[in-house]
Amino acid sequence: MLAEPKFKVLSELIGQLSKEELIWVNGYLSALVANPLPNTNTSSITQKITIAYGTETGNAKKLATDLAGKAKKKGITVKLASLDQYKLTELPKEEYFITVISTQGDGEPPIGAKKFYDHIHHNGFKLPQLKYAVLALGDTAYPLFCKTGEDVDKQFEYLGGQRIAPLQKCDLDYETDAHAWFDQLIANLHTTAIKTVVTNKPVETPKTVGKQYYEGTVLTNINLTAKGSAKKVYHIELAADGIEFLSGDSIGIVPKNDEQLVQQILSLTGVAPDTKIDYKGESYSIVELLIAKLNIRYLLDKSVKHYATTVGQEINVQKTDLLSLLQQYPVSSKEQFLKVVEGLTQIVPRIYNIASSPVAHNNEVHITVLQDVFETDNGVEKGLCTQFLESKQEGDRIQFFIQPNKRFRLPAADKDIIMIGPGTGIAPFRSFVAERDATGSIGRNWLFFSEDRFTTDFLYQTEWQAWFETETLTRIHLSFKNGAENYVTLSQKIIEQGVELFHWLEGGASLYLCGEKEPAGKEIEAALLQVFAKATDGTHETAIAYLEKLKKEERYAKDLY
Amino acid sequence: MAAEKKLSPIESIKTKSEGLRGTLKESLTDEITGAVREQDHALIKFHGMYEQDDRDLREERAAKKLDKLYSFMIRLRIPGGFMTADQWIAAHHVAGQYSTGIIKITTRQTIQLHGILKHQIKPTLQSFNKVQLDSIAACGDVNRNVACTSHPAESDIHEQVHAYADKISKLLLPKTRAFYEIWLDEEKIAEYDEQDPLYQDRYLPRKFKIGIAIPPNNDVDVLTNDLGLIAIIENNELIGFNIAVGGGLSTTHGNPDTYARLATVIGFARGEEQTLKAVYEVLTIQRDYGNRSDRKLARLKYTLDNMGVEVFRKELEKRCGFELEAIQPYQFTARKDRYGWMQDYKGSWHYTLFVENGRVTNEGPTPLQKALLEIATTGKSVFRFTSNQNVIISDILPQDKNEIEVILEQHGILERDEDISSIRKNAIACVALPTCPLALAEAQRYLPDLITKIEPLLIKHGLSSEDIVLRMTGCPNGCARPYAAEIGLVGTSPGHYNLHIGGDREGTRLNVKYKEQLGETEILAVLDQLFQQYADQRNKGDRFGDFILKEVLHAS
Repeated sequence: MLAEPKFKVLSELIGQLSKEELIWVNGYLSALVANPLPNTNTSSITQKITIAYGTETGNAKKLATDLAGKAKKKGITVKLASLDQYKLTELPKEEYFITVISTQGDGEPPIGAKKFYDHIHHNGFKLPQLKYAVLALGDTAYPLFCKTGEDVDKQFEYLGGQRIAPLQKCDLDYETDAHAWFDQLIANLHTTAIKTVVTNKPVETPKTVGKQYYEGTVLTNINLTAKGSAKKVYHIELAADGIEFLSGDSIGIVPKNDEQLVQQILSLTGVAPDTKIDYKGESYSIVELLIAKLNIRYLLDKSVKHYATTVGQEINVQKTDLLSLLQQYPVSSKEQFLKVVEGLTQIVPRIYNIASSPVAHNNEVHITVLQDVFETDNGVEKGLCTQFLESKQEGDRIQFFIQPNKRFRLPAADKDIIMIGPGTGIAPFRSFVAERDATGSIGRNWLFFSEDRFTTDFLYQTEWQAWFETETLTRIHLSFKNGAENYVTLSQKIIEQGVELFHWLEGGASLYLCGEKEPAGKEIEAALLQVFAKATDGTHETAIAYLEKLKKEERYAKDLY
Repeated sequence: MAAEKKLSPIESIKTKSEGLRGTLKESLTDEITGAVREQDHALIKFHGMYEQDDRDLREERAAKKLDKLYSFMIRLRIPGGFMTADQWIAAHHVAGQYSTGIIKITTRQTIQLHGILKHQIKPTLQSFNKVQLDSIAACGDVNRNVACTSHPAESDIHEQVHAYADKISKLLLPKTRAFYEIWLDEEKIAEYDEQDPLYQDRYLPRKFKIGIAIPPNNDVDVLTNDLGLIAIIENNELIGFNIAVGGGLSTTHGNPDTYARLATVIGFARGEEQTLKAVYEVLTIQRDYGNRSDRKLARLKYTLDNMGVEVFRKELEKRCGFELEAIQPYQFTARKDRYGWMQDYKGSWHYTLFVENGRVTNEGPTPLQKALLEIATTGKSVFRFTSNQNVIISDILPQDKNEIEVILEQHGILERDEDISSIRKNAIACVALPTCPLALAEAQRYLPDLITKIEPLLIKHGLSSEDIVLRMTGCPNGCARPYAAEIGLVGTSPGHYNLHIGGDREGTRLNVKYKEQLGETEILAVLDQLFQQYADQRNKGDRFGDFILKEVLHAS
């Protein structure tokens, strides 16, 4: 069975062995046959791979970490790197490079991966040595599902890289698909020579396995702010059968377009409302599609371009809507309109932090929605979801899905928490404190909150008061503008409370920040760094390191939007 | 007296308050609520403030998960209702910046601002302090703002009498520096002696009101005060005061032990020293003998009736170390403000401006607030407030009169004042809803409309020039002195009032409850019938209240 040269080597060896040594070799070989040593029976073996992740919510990081662990167990040397830390100069030296990356809102890469993304797209180099695979995370509710992953996959190919596994696109329930894909990839690494160029047809999770939609019944829809307030903040309570979520999760709502507006559009085009159209593999009537699926207000540039091409006109308007286009640049036929429809994008779901606790609020989902109003050339207009939710009354139904927020979770019951939630950022903290109240958690709870006016805009004031009186809420610090030029901002409050805050953190407290990214989120993070610097050696670097340490220990979570 | 009776809870709050400090400083830093802490509720009154909430909004706010809309009413201490032009200007700006914007002239000649939020209290009081105004003891179980006949033209010696308001107010101020520390950020002065021989640590059992009248005009309703001083003038000299004790109008619906009472004149104190001593010792008697168990029975009137007038007088004389002289003869013939222009003996001019319900605003067609600010800005007048909640633009030199007149003219005030009916000019209403926590029915928000419906009845019966005194309160507490009116309407429930009639015009006789729980239609029907009877059957010179007493109450 052995070829001549091998047999020769073996014979030479046997000739040199004593009887005892022969017996030992005999046993060794038998054991080897029963339990082969890793990698000993494959020829061209991969020794080193890099898994780099680009994450926004933490899902990509968690997944990449899991995959790295798995690979290590199989004896593969793995380098795990976050794309915001990754040295771009390493890229030409990489051999096996696996990218796990998510896609944000409008098909954007995560903020931390932006530099990497731009680097591979704009710097005109080639990566002929690169053997790569891309695992894309996304959300099928968005029109540009897994766009960033697609881009990276395509770009690596363009740069001369060799694809070792087809692009895998995953929806919110990514776990199973991602692991299956990775297992296959590892198995391929173990088999003889890697077939480097794999088909570029991506693997996509079938739609049906996508997110689960719930049909919620509106129990309450009230504006929390009082007369005299400059804003409206809706508190909406929803009940749905069989729903499961955790404190810290969010929900996604796909708003619907105004029916009258859709009727108006259809009557302009002469298309019958029940005209059937195939959309993403399913059949819809045009009226259904325009109400529930497609964006017809504030069209994306590409939709406008598509419209222009279809009707054969030059259109140079921005921020327009379908009705205006139809009025200004009428379509010539029903068929042309149906062509226009093909260029419309999907309605993007709006994500809201859940403000209720499944335990305390009997599995109801509560959300806290700031009315979105803005000035346009046509006067004051309302955001699509605002308009949609505002019209909902008790008993109406709203479809939604749960968006798990794994990084935004309560710690153990005996741990303290510090919650910073300016404006509607207070929502998840109502969930947290209600949950801790209902479950009798002994950890202390500290809330920071800011709004415009104390008298009109103190969201959930009586609830916080009740929790404060019963000592579930241990401390509360507030900042209200109250129409004054000079007032103590929330950041200043945080700095004022710095010593105690740091003391809580040193005692193991978890820190949470939720709310609008700009300007509140940025300012608050700067304030926190100031607190950390003051409490340590006074340097910005140490403060940043402290924040990083909190992140690493999963004691700092933020949800900024 | 049952000394073992349990003290009212307010009593221990007072004694434990460390000079009215309580936890007020802490209350101010509680960010989660617009209210002060429970026990500070009682204490903040001693600093001239009431915590209130907008009752109209309670339900709506509760649904929005918002706490009650708490705010504070700040009442100033303005003895005798006298303010300089600079002080008025300051009040005007403070009102605009921190309160509802409305300056409310009270029935005790001071002003109060409503709707001040907790975090605005300090800036408000600090602004007032800059013009030497404070709110010390404007509320609470202490001597309140001292009222005094306001119009300088009432008497040649008005100035001399009026000075007593300030003297008495200072004499009876609490000694604690708490007000300055809490609101004005004054450092605590270690060596300052806060021993208070008058109030001790328990203060009075209940509020205490003092009024000073110069006959023949009883514009301050002197007999409705716990302690009334009636100026006695001989040969154009102030020789002293008749001392009247035990007035007070508050009652409680359904509590027969409570009653309204006019003060009893018990003697005469000659000269300043005797007068001030008598005043001081009336307070010490009330401090020592007043009921500290039941606050509804704690006013001086009950102390007096429990002791008996004679015993009371003896005790007072013992404490004073002198005997009161026999009551000096005096007579009240009127109880009204003298609207329009009047000149005093020195030649200065005064314009009494009608302010409906004391609300100085720019609402409606005549912008009073704007006019008064403009007048104050000239610096050529002072301001006096009357017990009928009006303002006298006062002490105007003859050469400046025209300038003031032009401002009044330009703002349509002269024209407006010509058309105001007598019944409206003589009417008073308390604040009531939405801010007063005691109110059972509307008062100041409603009375103007009701009067609009009463005016045609008076015209119909040819009575429109009669100075009939009509007063309305939202509860039986009597802030607008309804029991001392010819027509009193006392709120019992939303839209319903008890009708009291038969008081006299001069304020020396209480009225009688005539009908209970009347709605508007019934009120108008009853008044229509009474006016008709009065118009048909009165003898020449019969005043409405006297006629009613004689012909309606005795006859029925």
